[in-house]
Amino acid sequence: MAGSRDVKRRIKSVENTRQITRTMELVATSKLKRATDRVYAARPYAGALHEIVAGLYSPALSEKYPILRRPETTKRAAVLLLTANRGLCGGFNSNLIKQARTLMEELRGKGIETELHIAGKKAVAYFRFRGEEMATTRTDVGDHPTVDDAESLIGPIRDRFESGAVDAVYLVSSQFRSAMSTPPHTRELLPIEGDPDAPSADTFILSPSGDMILERILPAYIRNAVFTALVENAAAEQGARRSAMKSATDNAGDVLEHLTRTYNRARQAQITQEIAEIVGGSAALE
Amino acid sequence: MASLNVRVVSPQKIVFEGEAAALVAPAWDGDVGILPGHAPMLALLGVGELAVDRPGGGSATFHVAGGVLKVERNTVTLLTEYAGDTAPEVVPASATVFVEDVED
Repeated sequence: MAGSRDVKRRIKSVENTRQITRTMELVATSKLKRATDRVYAARPYAGALHEIVAGLYSPALSEKYPILRRPETTKRAAVLLLTANRGLCGGFNSNLIKQARTLMEELRGKGIETELHIAGKKAVAYFRFRGEEMATTRTDVGDHPTVDDAESLIGPIRDRFESGAVDAVYLVSSQFRSAMSTPPHTRELLPIEGDPDAPSADTFILSPSGDMILERILPAYIRNAVFTALVENAAAEQGARRSAMKSATDNAGDVLEHLTRTYNRARQAQITQEIAEIVGGSAALE
Repeated sequence: MASLNVRVVSPQKIVFEGEAAALVAPAWDGDVGILPGHAPMLALLGVGELAVDRPGGGSATFHVAGGVLKVERNTVTLLTEYAGDTAPEVVPASATVFVEDVED
């Protein structure tokens, strides 16, 4: 019977797909474990650095150092969007792209020019397809981002801020709350906001001086914000891929169950029909 | 005797965490020694070797480069841009402060 052969072929095909998605799920799970470890390992540095910077920061310093400048009006803003190089991770990339688009529309609505800096093949492909302008693109940041990756991404943008070419820098990336929760997140990197709750560093012996420490530490602070974002993004990507592949595997299981039932019913129908024919044939002879 | 609580943190991980009787760190203008009871201090780090003397004797050494040293209530935190067993290949920008750069 032709019908049952087709169904059998589909079953085979879905089984193959399920095998692939299950493997991808397992690979993502093991990568996620390592990426999560890196996220947690990077947090103490970020936390301690933030405390020091916030303790030393005072708005009065903005006159003195270009990196602390606080533009009165924002004419042009840079948006740094971090996405993955690979797909098959559910809405991960498209959520990030959507977040960046919303942000840029909002900025343009306020009369601010925007420039888009992108890391990750998926966003590059998207904006290229839409024919939208991209200031810089990078596709060489892998699963294991380094501090140097962060520096080479943010360094030129930071210079543009210091020289006055842009007045604000935004970072769009995924927050890594847990493997299941990785919402896209926008952070204003520059100009630097003071933290009024931070304990002041007034009581400290400062060597060489508060200003000098701040000036030397700030570039590292900005870079580390990008580094942390890269590390979290890498973990979030694996988390999103694992969830996507898990539901794909589960769905394939459901489809298989349905197809197997269809196949059995067809086979049963064929047997019943054959018996009916035999019985019918012998009855005709009597 | 009081001891120091030392944490050496690089952007990637906590390199060292533990008790110390004393430590000598490479600050921007030369080595600085820290003993328990040190006043609160924030200092830029240069490039060099960090030596942590363990309470039971013996010491741990690391090469560090750039970042800050923070001392507060017998807790010493070194946020360094590089920490490893060998000297760094590239010296980070924050580790290049010269005496001439510092005004007054």
